[in-house]
Amino acid sequence: MIASDRLTSIPERYPLVCQWEITCRCNLRCVMCYTDCFNRPEKIREELTTTEILRIMDELAEAGCIELALTGGEPLARSDFFDIYEHAKTGGFLVTLLTNGTLITEEIADRLAALPPHRIEISLHGITAHTFEQVTQGSGSFARCMRAIGLLCDRKLPLLLKTTAMTVNRDEVLTIKRYVNGLHESGHRVGYKLGEEMRLTLDGSDAPGLLALSDEELEDLNRQDAELWTEACRNQTSEAKPCTSGQQRFHIDAYGQLQLCSGNRRRGYDLRRGSFKEGFYQHLPAFPCPAKADPQAALLQPSASHA
Amino acid sequence: MTALVNWTDKIYAKNSDFVQREVAGECILIPVRRQLTDVNSLYVLNETGAALWRRMDGKTPLQAITLDFLNEFDVTQTQLEKDVASLIEDLLSIHAIREASPES
Repeated sequence: MIASDRLTSIPERYPLVCQWEITCRCNLRCVMCYTDCFNRPEKIREELTTTEILRIMDELAEAGCIELALTGGEPLARSDFFDIYEHAKTGGFLVTLLTNGTLITEEIADRLAALPPHRIEISLHGITAHTFEQVTQGSGSFARCMRAIGLLCDRKLPLLLKTTAMTVNRDEVLTIKRYVNGLHESGHRVGYKLGEEMRLTLDGSDAPGLLALSDEELEDLNRQDAELWTEACRNQTSEAKPCTSGQQRFHIDAYGQLQLCSGNRRRGYDLRRGSFKEGFYQHLPAFPCPAKADPQAALLQPSASHA
Repeated sequence: MTALVNWTDKIYAKNSDFVQREVAGECILIPVRRQLTDVNSLYVLNETGAALWRRMDGKTPLQAITLDFLNEFDVTQTQLEKDVASLIEDLLSIHAIREASPES
């Protein structure tokens, strides 16, 4: 028997990691959210049922998928969340839960601790109620989020707190990071990640982009913290690599569409109608991605010769 | 064939804290009720280990399992005993299995 941090013999193309947007439902209305446009009754009625989700999840397991990130919307806004979560855990998935935290009660924290996730990622977009709730548009949401962080820390669950840098919260980003560092230094298993990407909404609006910081503003922000600056420099200097979405990672939306990634929903394969293996192996490779290496390009290039 | 040593009289049962998954041809054990960091890692079983894990049902003595393996695998009894003993030790150390009584 070999103890291993990672599997070493995974083929280049293998369905290892799934990000699954199990709902667009959410109790908050975050100003930059790209799924909130589908957080309405008629779209929610179209979402996968519990039975459909569990059936597809079994297909993922059978295909060898092992890392499963449950996201939304707000996953905990589904009344059947724990049916889904517990099925994933007992099925042997390494589950990451992406949540706004505000629905986490003591009882829910206990249930999570009883079947601990690989990681819980919580969006923390402000460190004051004013800023946080300017983003979430939910009265009392800051207090609930902070309480959730405390409940999960108390249960020693691994957390990643994330902020999307925007015009409305840029003045609090460094304070948020210091707060997270303080938790970490106190012995809690908490990490921090600053995000900068603002996406078009699922119905095509670029409204979230109005909240984006300019490149200069982001640079100014990152320069104020050594770790953020190091990360920013690493991202700037690394050469653009071809997108590998669809190779070992894939995305499933709330309606059962298998897609390359959450940022590319140009095409989908309907998992309500077809099997996961057929979708992954026969359809996904043909889905368009502007950041993918052009398979024809290699054929057009002469073999390298060095004088 | 000589009798297998006494420890093979024991019966082992899987701990429901662990789930076995097949990933890219590898047999791995994943802790369900403990965090990965509590047991440090995933556990990848070799061919013998995977076969042993599948056969441990809390009822069948290790001796019966290992005798079957001698017929199934191209391995000497000495090597098999050594491999199985090592594996049992590893699985016990991470609490993936527990000793079961014959009547349980």
